[in-house]
Amino acid sequence: MSSLKVTNLVKHFGDVRAVDGLSIDVQNGEFFALLGPSASGKTTSFRTICGIETPTSGTIELDGKDMTDAAMRDRDVAMVFQTFALYPHMTIRENLAYPLRQMKLASSEINSRIDETAELLRLSHTLDRKPGTASGGEQQRIAIGRALIRRPHLLLLDEPLTNLDAKLRHDTRAEFKRIHRERKITIVYATPDELEALTMGNRIGVLRDGRIVQTGTPDELYERPDNRYVAGMVGSPQMNLIPAKRGGTENRPTVVTDFGEFHEAPWNSPLADFAIGEELLFGIRPHEIVPKNGAATTAGPTIDCHVHLIEPIGDLVILDLVANGTRLKMVLPEEQAIAYSPGSSLTCGFDLATTHVFAKETGTVIRQPLPEKQKA
Amino acid sequence: MFATKKKNRALREAGWGRTLVAGFIGLIYFSPVLWIVMTAFKTRQDALATPPKLFFEPTLDNFVRVFYRVTTDGDQLSTGMGLYFFNSIFIAGAGVLLAVVIGTLAAYGFSRYPLRGNDTYLFVILTTRMLPPIVVIVPIFLMFRVTGLSGGYIGIILLYAMFNLAFSVWMMKSFFDELSADVEDAARLDGANDLAVFFKICLPQLKAGLAATVVFALILTWNEFLFALLLTGSDTRTVPVAMARAMGGQLGVDWGLLAAIITLFLVPVFAVTYMLQNHLLRGVTFGTVKK
Repeated sequence: MSSLKVTNLVKHFGDVRAVDGLSIDVQNGEFFALLGPSASGKTTSFRTICGIETPTSGTIELDGKDMTDAAMRDRDVAMVFQTFALYPHMTIRENLAYPLRQMKLASSEINSRIDETAELLRLSHTLDRKPGTASGGEQQRIAIGRALIRRPHLLLLDEPLTNLDAKLRHDTRAEFKRIHRERKITIVYATPDELEALTMGNRIGVLRDGRIVQTGTPDELYERPDNRYVAGMVGSPQMNLIPAKRGGTENRPTVVTDFGEFHEAPWNSPLADFAIGEELLFGIRPHEIVPKNGAATTAGPTIDCHVHLIEPIGDLVILDLVANGTRLKMVLPEEQAIAYSPGSSLTCGFDLATTHVFAKETGTVIRQPLPEKQKA
Repeated sequence: MFATKKKNRALREAGWGRTLVAGFIGLIYFSPVLWIVMTAFKTRQDALATPPKLFFEPTLDNFVRVFYRVTTDGDQLSTGMGLYFFNSIFIAGAGVLLAVVIGTLAAYGFSRYPLRGNDTYLFVILTTRMLPPIVVIVPIFLMFRVTGLSGGYIGIILLYAMFNLAFSVWMMKSFFDELSADVEDAARLDGANDLAVFFKICLPQLKAGLAATVVFALILTWNEFLFALLLTGSDTRTVPVAMARAMGGQLGVDWGLLAAIITLFLVPVFAVTYMLQNHLLRGVTFGTVKK
């Protein structure tokens, strides 16, 4: 059953189209991530869903009921603001109690819920202090507590980790997953960080210029991006998108790049619809490129290149390669990368079945690898 | 939280040399006030002595004479100064209260529900403070005569409220602008209505700003002389007007008496400012430091 269903939501501010035809369908109990860069409409979408803003057009359904024009307090939606938006003049206990007092609950009920929430979020020791004296992580947890304590039907989290330092982010990510599991609550989570979206979301909606460009599980988005935007957004380091052209003959199309011409790949048939010379983008994940030592392994095309830069990231190393003027990245385990230094030459190869081809103009995918299960 | 921060900040204190120089400069600025306060405790002879006496035997005689005068028959009569002090406190208090209440509500409106041409209205409000009050004294005097407001409490209170309104609107608006709109949205989402957002969420965050606005408005009003002179009657006279009347006399200016009135006149402003000083400092620097 769908918990939140947004259809064709539009919100304009004067000439600015902050949200421009957003449609999402979030199932009950799901952890749905809304992934998009800043100014892609995440916050405005949230503000419209919870009723702070009135939509220009479109509908919002909560739990199957049309709530597009409902008052904020009738929606049963809680939101954690990016700025936390705690009440600075109240103690942490009063902050947590505020939504419950508005609901006119009995004080015994309020107290028991505060104790329960404080325990869940490990805030018991801070309750009588003001939010200004709490650490960043505590402020974050207070904001979450104030949202959870109402037991809302839907929880919106607007870039909740942006204001935290790296270590806290990691811990809090785990915290969110734990709360989601323990409370079985529906969560929509907005973030500009693909890693957050991939690690936490059951499903992810990729947002661009106020509309969803692709929705899917983390695996689907990673393996089968619908367009170059999603391909560039999901996965780190991001997919190599290499300028290419449609080559070959009318019936036997190929993809031509600066370092080789590729044919006999799965994307041949849809490619036939494109004119010869049409500009394309040839996509390959850095993880799919492997060094080829000697001629023993012959399968798949090879690229001759040299190492331009080396970026170690823990036990993995990103190699910045230049192949005939084209830059591309490759990721290797540390023990393999140790053999290379800037300037050294190597031959690498890849499996054509793992590659992607996008039309350069529209960015839409021409060919994507088959889903895991269909490959078998 | 501010107190702990202050203690933790390890700023090096200035040495004795600098402290003494600063103290000396401070004393020069403070000396007129000190002079008046000292004169209030002097006898008539000491007050007029040349060279001026720094050391003398203090007397409270002047303070008694502020409130009572002795007739030639030996009877004690009230000078009415008690009433004038009450008038000053009541008129300034009511005028400032009215200005701050209306100003705060207006400022919230200007800040959160801007009208078309919002800045124009704010500018128009500010223009009421651009000309010296004396310029409008004749029309205002006539208006008060025609409406019968002259001489009563209501007229002068309304006038002071009006004078302070522009100031309090501008000042409070800048404080409201500094508040996070997210906090208000969060409260609405938590189920608060607009009134609750204003009274329970916004205002409590602006205690410091309110204090600063009240003190500044109070000082302006407390010291006002011109309109008080023209628009108050004998029952509603304020202290500055009474002070001017007390200056003249058959024996020349009675410095001791005048100094005693001034000393008493300083006390309320001093007390209010002292009570609100912590808030005041935060109010004046509000929003200038990232929290």
